[in-house]
Amino acid sequence: MPSNAGSGSKSFLPYVRNIQSNGLATGLNPDTHKEYFTLTGTTEHPVLPSSRSKKDTPGNRRYLRLRKDTKPFQRGIIRHVILVIDLSEAMLEKDMRPNRCFTVIKYTQEYVREFFEQNPISQMSVMAMHDGLCVRVSELSGNPAEHIAAIQGLRTPKNPRDAPKEPKGSPSLQNALELARATLYHTPSHGTREVIIILGALLSLDPSDIHVTIKSCVRDRIRVSIIGMGGRLRICQEIVGRTNAGDESGYVVATDQELLRELLLATTTPPVIRSAAPSAGLDGRTVPAESGASLLMMGFPSRIIDDVPTLCACHGNLTRGGYTCSRCSVKVCSLPATCPGCHLTLILSTHLARSYHHLFPLRNWIEVSWERAKEMGSRECVGCLSLFPVPPSDEELQAIRDEASSTTDPAKARHSNRSKEKQNMGDAEEEAEQQLASESKRYECRACGSHFCIDCDLFCHEVLHNCPGCLSKADPTAVDGSAEVEMTG
Amino acid sequence: MNAIDATDRHIKTSDGPPPSLLAIILDTNPHAWAHLSSTLPLSKAVANLLVFINAHLASGNANEVAVIASHSQRAQWLYPTPKPSSPRSTTTTSNGHDSSSQNRSRNRDMDMANGTTALSDSANKYRPFATIEHAIQTNLTALLSTTTATDLSSTTTTLIGGALSTALTYIAKSTIRHSPVDPTLTAAAADATNPSAHLADSDGTASTQRVSLTSRILVLSVSGDLASQYIPVMNAIFAAQRQRIPIDILKLAGDTVLLQQACDATGGIYMAPAAPQGLLQYLMMAFLPDAVARRALVLPGAGDVDFRAACFCHRRVVDVGFVCSVCLSIFCEPLTDATCLTCGSHLSLATAQTAAPALIPRKKKKRKRAPGEAVTPAGSNTPVPGGTPTHA
Repeated sequence: MPSNAGSGSKSFLPYVRNIQSNGLATGLNPDTHKEYFTLTGTTEHPVLPSSRSKKDTPGNRRYLRLRKDTKPFQRGIIRHVILVIDLSEAMLEKDMRPNRCFTVIKYTQEYVREFFEQNPISQMSVMAMHDGLCVRVSELSGNPAEHIAAIQGLRTPKNPRDAPKEPKGSPSLQNALELARATLYHTPSHGTREVIIILGALLSLDPSDIHVTIKSCVRDRIRVSIIGMGGRLRICQEIVGRTNAGDESGYVVATDQELLRELLLATTTPPVIRSAAPSAGLDGRTVPAESGASLLMMGFPSRIIDDVPTLCACHGNLTRGGYTCSRCSVKVCSLPATCPGCHLTLILSTHLARSYHHLFPLRNWIEVSWERAKEMGSRECVGCLSLFPVPPSDEELQAIRDEASSTTDPAKARHSNRSKEKQNMGDAEEEAEQQLASESKRYECRACGSHFCIDCDLFCHEVLHNCPGCLSKADPTAVDGSAEVEMTG
Repeated sequence: MNAIDATDRHIKTSDGPPPSLLAIILDTNPHAWAHLSSTLPLSKAVANLLVFINAHLASGNANEVAVIASHSQRAQWLYPTPKPSSPRSTTTTSNGHDSSSQNRSRNRDMDMANGTTALSDSANKYRPFATIEHAIQTNLTALLSTTTATDLSSTTTTLIGGALSTALTYIAKSTIRHSPVDPTLTAAAADATNPSAHLADSDGTASTQRVSLTSRILVLSVSGDLASQYIPVMNAIFAAQRQRIPIDILKLAGDTVLLQQACDATGGIYMAPAAPQGLLQYLMMAFLPDAVARRALVLPGAGDVDFRAACFCHRRVVDVGFVCSVCLSIFCEPLTDATCLTCGSHLSLATAQTAAPALIPRKKKKRKRAPGEAVTPAGSNTPVPGGTPTHA
């Protein structure tokens, strides 16, 4: 591929090449195709999206990911998600290894697993933008194995005579949105309707006016989030903003594959439900309220183990174990599922419990200053019993404070102290320093006043979703009660 | 620091079984033990447990143990002994500084021995066994002696959720310390500013044996009703499931579905022995083998696990229930005023029931007849049944 931008930076190249190969070089007819490669901000920041700051090291990213989303919002627990993968020519770029397409296919498989881990009663469908069209890779269903098999089938088809689907042509956002809209059309109103697009190309090749499609998406209360690569696109910003009631934070750009993975996994958290604000659509009609809460009838089947194998109703396989529908007694292999006989939603109560931590999140723990550490006299982490560093004596502390800053504001003092230390530290230390924002290496739970180390902080917030201190001391009913009050607020 | 100088590259790791960390949660609910006192008093149970702990430690050089008491008012460490935090007093700054700087150079176990009163100096006892035994007995005595009558009367349950959470955080940190890859980078880098501060305990052990740790949790449970801690316990179960930590349950008294589900989800062993007197035998036969050995053994069967849910309104166990789409509360019957009892949102039953898309039957194509063909008369000889069901 000829490239005139040989002197440009490495990550800038894909953008240039895309314009050449996909847009101008292929000689599109501007009368029949509407093209969008309007790039915002590319003149000033061709690579860095505005969401990333200069200090954005991987360690800090991890810390930032931890430091969010702990306010108890009402969240859409029952989700209907269409995952759209870009399989256009742009995905052959090698800025991710071995190429973008391979990376995305690898990460989406991981994503599907994590998604159903976090959202066991949700539904998903996978689609791919390939050569101007949008093709359905897997049907809307709640079974992760089906989706993973279908995604793997893109590269290694089940039928050996079929050729693997290689990235080809241009993507069409409009076709993708229309197909997603059609797929989500019948989904019930209590669930969310989400489209998550992984877009590698810097253009969209659409058959007609995409703004009409956006309008109908808004009307159908579909929320679109887009993970781009290489640069920001005006049209993507518009799609995300319009479908999310003006909130454009759903449009993010991955500059490397690690960030791509994190951005993708960040969407496994259920979205916040906005209150039913009477926001009038641009066409004058009012947008229906998003949270159509409803009471769902669900079956809680019991597990059976037969002496002789019997046919399951879902696949027609001979199996011995399974679950019988509580209403019509047909046998299904695995849960959660919709009963093939009577269309009752069948789940285990543990599936519901899996979503509780989204509803009752563990509050963030705060950094502990040396003064506070002394006051509490904590010597080791409540969770893992590892020792904390000993607080400096009053004189030493005074010296640190004086040296750091003349102001008495502890936050400022800490900050400048950190930046000073950073200069004479290596990369690893700098990364850790940003992650460990607490000067005394302690993190305090505001509810019970226990101090924890950073490892326990991460573990409790990312995996456990419990505070060992609160649960070990207080009356458990009091904890539950407060969580419920918070949730309704 | 260990990560930066590549010293551990030359250390040959042992070919033996991987070190195993056993976290034991001892349910010390006084009400339940009072019921059991005729068959198995607490003192005897603790004695049996100590034999079991010794057996676990003896079965591998690098094996570790952690014991947590799940009491009625609080969950507390029995071993290792935690250092009580010393809220600011007049002498804290100078004294606290000195004593802990001495501690840095010491081993953790020595610390424990130092912190508590003198060990029983029996020459015939293997010292690590004696250390753990002494720590557990001292801490348990302290815990029981601080339990007041008002504590007892206020609650009859036990804080199993807190104990499980504490055990899981401890295991998570121990796994990081033992990790052969190197997530200790964070811990090591954490100390970059203060190198001598708190790696003292991990320096001694972790650098020599970077073999990944297998962990498991054993809950010695005697309490019945744990429904008040449903959400914390469930969170702990899912965390254990993600970390692949089996939770074994030895149920001496009472019965809870919750703990059964914990075993089922994490792949642990559930046992509810009929005769609690034989506690030691149950412990040794069923719970001593670690995850590696269990693959080769026939494990005690879990039996049927009840996955049915209890409704939030009447605590009835339901087969078919109604679930609020906002807060996932389960109700046994449609709500009368259509308002969720938990979160107060207005719920409509109708929208959910019309969820399935209706299929429009395909229009029947009328076969065109050739213009010359004779039209059959309406009242023909053979009566045609009307409205034959056809597949759409």
